[in-house]
Amino acid sequence: MKPFAYVNPTTEKDAVAALSPEFEKSLPIAGGQDLLARMKDYITQPDRIVNVKRALESTVTPLDGGLRIGAAVKLVDLAEHAEVARMYPAIAAAAIEVGTPQIRNQATVGGNLNQRPRCWYFRNEEFFCLKKGGNTCFSISGENQFHAILGGGPSFIVHPSSLAVPMVAYGATFRLASPGGERLVPAAEYFTLPAKNVLTENVLAPNELLTHVILPAPGNLKSGHYEVRYKASHDWPIAFATVLLVMDGTTVRSARVVMGAVAPVPWRSQPAEQALTGKTITEETAAAAADAALRDAQPLGQNAYKVQVAKTAVTRAILRAAGIQTV
Amino acid sequence: MLGTSVKRLDGPDKVTGRAKYTFDINRPGMLYGRILRSPHPHARVVSIDLSAARRAPGVKAALVWKDPADTKNNQVMFQGEEVAAVAAVTEERAMDAARLIKVEYEVLPHVSVVQQALAGKAPEVFTGGNVKQGQTQEAGDLAAGFAAAAHTIDETYSTHVITHACMESHGTVCEWDGDKLTAWVSTQGINSARENFATALAIPQSSVRVICQYMGGGFGSKLALGAEGLICAKLAKEANAPVKLMLDRKEEHLATGNRPSAAARIKAGVTADGIITAFDAESWGTGGAGAAAGFPLPYIYRIANRRRTHKDVFINTGQQRPMRAPGHPQGSFITEIMMDELADAVKMDPIDFRLKNLPPEGPNAMWGSYLREGQTAFGWDKRHPTGDRTPGPIKTVMGAAIGTWGGGGRGPSQAHCEIASDGGVTMRIGTQDLGTGTRTLVAIVTGESLGLKPSQIKPEIGDTLYGVAGGSGGSTTAGSISPAIRIAAINALDALRAKVAPVLHAEPASLVAAGGRIHVKGDPSKGMSWADACKQIGPQPITADGDWQPGLSSVTTSGAQFAEVTVDIGTGIVKLKRILAIQDCGLVVSKLTAESQCYGGVIGSLNFAMFEDRILDRNTGLMVNPNLEWYLLAGMSDIPQIDVRLKDQAERGVIGIGEPPTVPTAAAIGLAVRNAIGVTLRSLPLTPARILQAL
Repeated sequence: MKPFAYVNPTTEKDAVAALSPEFEKSLPIAGGQDLLARMKDYITQPDRIVNVKRALESTVTPLDGGLRIGAAVKLVDLAEHAEVARMYPAIAAAAIEVGTPQIRNQATVGGNLNQRPRCWYFRNEEFFCLKKGGNTCFSISGENQFHAILGGGPSFIVHPSSLAVPMVAYGATFRLASPGGERLVPAAEYFTLPAKNVLTENVLAPNELLTHVILPAPGNLKSGHYEVRYKASHDWPIAFATVLLVMDGTTVRSARVVMGAVAPVPWRSQPAEQALTGKTITEETAAAAADAALRDAQPLGQNAYKVQVAKTAVTRAILRAAGIQTV
Repeated sequence: MLGTSVKRLDGPDKVTGRAKYTFDINRPGMLYGRILRSPHPHARVVSIDLSAARRAPGVKAALVWKDPADTKNNQVMFQGEEVAAVAAVTEERAMDAARLIKVEYEVLPHVSVVQQALAGKAPEVFTGGNVKQGQTQEAGDLAAGFAAAAHTIDETYSTHVITHACMESHGTVCEWDGDKLTAWVSTQGINSARENFATALAIPQSSVRVICQYMGGGFGSKLALGAEGLICAKLAKEANAPVKLMLDRKEEHLATGNRPSAAARIKAGVTADGIITAFDAESWGTGGAGAAAGFPLPYIYRIANRRRTHKDVFINTGQQRPMRAPGHPQGSFITEIMMDELADAVKMDPIDFRLKNLPPEGPNAMWGSYLREGQTAFGWDKRHPTGDRTPGPIKTVMGAAIGTWGGGGRGPSQAHCEIASDGGVTMRIGTQDLGTGTRTLVAIVTGESLGLKPSQIKPEIGDTLYGVAGGSGGSTTAGSISPAIRIAAINALDALRAKVAPVLHAEPASLVAAGGRIHVKGDPSKGMSWADACKQIGPQPITADGDWQPGLSSVTTSGAQFAEVTVDIGTGIVKLKRILAIQDCGLVVSKLTAESQCYGGVIGSLNFAMFEDRILDRNTGLMVNPNLEWYLLAGMSDIPQIDVRLKDQAERGVIGIGEPPTVPTAAAIGLAVRNAIGVTLRSLPLTPARILQAL
């Protein structure tokens, strides 16, 4: 492993000062569930890592009718937090499915949102792919059964964060701290397509630190979350979805439909939302909305099955939101 | 005591960490070895420069393994092949130093897609060709058989390459004392490892001692010493210090063996009343670079008119090594899927159809009885015909399949028994326990022979100083050592009886050992406790030897398995619900560990069916999932209810159970899936992608 310096700041200001404007030169570490693996596999080789566990908040506090979640909150604590489960059930539902209990005991909210893709070309040192500064996306003509069916190109990764999807759905905002101050970025604008910048997955600058997730007051929402993964024990999802409904009696006034593991960013589907608006939720209307969500899917050579799986995830998330349990 | 459930003697040592695996061995002044491996599937090594590695901090030895000057042997034939190695004071320093070795490769064309090789569209990499034709096997009159058929099928079935995925990786700790080598090896054969070291290092066998007290899985990949063992020994010699060299997970996947793939295009014919009259198969498979990929076909069923041709296809990947019941899981899956398709063609229940085509029943051919027993026990009457028509996306059903395996016993298996005056009993034999429970089996057989509890016996295994015994492969350990141990124990008991008889005023031949006592047969009051009997021994312990003899072990087991699954047709996800394994193994010596072998074998086979897959990038030929993230293995929530019914055939002697239970599970699961969705999946693994594609 490339030798690195290790710094241990106690304040947010010192933590930010320890970062660097140069890409991946100085990186923050909290749970280390992704960074250490990338370092051991020679994918990421920083000169310095900055322990941010003390500098960041690891608490969940009420704020303006919503919640403010410190980026150092562990996934286990997020999943078990009574207010999170009550106000934003899809976030708790997503958090409890991540990895294994051991991973959830270490991993943090900030790390989960900022983790890098699982694509096996990205993660294997032998492949100098687009995301590492090379010229080729090996998935296009290679083994792409786990790659994107929406929003892909020139890279076809799927975003690996389970939390990002419900956070986009609930309209979360991320607070980013930098040497110059701070900015608030809506979750929906935080994650970026490879067409915009293939070397990163979000707008976070190298010398910025994601410090908080701010969730607005939920209002009268019905939440549904459904994940499909192959192994029950410890696997990445094939497709998942968060659906939020604001109801007018028995019809939908408005909806949010966001899909995960299908695109390089959490994928919000306005066609699906429009298909639900004004409708009563039934298996038929849910399936029609799911069809709309995947209408523009562009499968690669081996991932066409993901289209069906994603439709099922969306359909069942809609039904769960409506309180209809069929599976 | 034979056939009872005795808790593993080494259970407490394992769960407390007292048990030392090769991975745990630490020697004074020990260094750590690390191998540099080829990143290319096919290349010539042009030059190797060790100088930067030698200068790296903490490095004490470095060697070249692929000599560029050796023109007959300077090509690397698969990603992961050994090229050079270093030893350094810490594992991390060794890893860093290995990366400083400069290797110049001339990258050569590679072949990695079997279909391309078969079609003659791949670069010709292997001397003599990428494809090697085998012999044709035929019997009966194929044309007449097809003429008599009311229905025929023509389908292709296949299974895929998987790796052994041992929890403890391959590796050794090597320590020289002058020209004598002591090696702790994670091995299934301490005596064959000893011989491998001696031959490769050109030293006498008597100068080599191999130790393996505990090992974390082999499944056939640890029968022979790998390159890492020899590299470790050579690094230790150069450094004049002990070296530990354990492989990491990527190395395990790439370079320690695999189960070859298997495929067959089968044309088969069946009469209207359900007899298979014709079977014509062209099969092939890959065992990697230059290695074979055979498997039995047809599997078990009796077919009079048949023909089978086979081709081995060579690709630039790591070579196969025997993997738990080599060939049988492949033959079973391919044959059994065909069987259900034929059964459907004649509208027969799959089990009735199998019963019509089995070889005649016998102690070594019990599938008919086991299928009928499983039919009842599993609730087969609730199974509906192919294609679950209940509404809703979750389909539930069942499949069944059979398996066989040889097993048996052989010599030499030298057992040595000592009984001391304090009552202590030691049974010493140069065998090894790869997790099967051999230690416990040694104690049970000895205890049974001496009228003692297994906990009163001290088994000593896992050291070549304890004598010669075979490697643990082919399910032959129990069958080989049980007779030897029994004979040694009886010989020791004879000596003890001779000492005790005068004190009891009885003839030695009239004495028996039972219930912790030595007494006159038929008159338990005329005797003494084991402790008192041993006091007669005197200062030198009784010693006695035994070796394997024919008559106490035999070969060939039968098994039948049933699987129930649900398939969610909205997602393609298969969930396993229940598996029933009915399995014989001759005389059941240690019931608990024999059942554990069945659980483990079933779990291995369900992983073969559902999860494991060695995935190569089709363009570069490199493995994309050399880890445990994307090389999937069932976790706790993926394991179904597994019921094991062991059938004790005491009259047949000890046979062996390591391999038989891993054979038919994948087929049973594949058939359950077929039954659920009404579509036949003819290849593994049964991923959501495959299932949704089939629907």
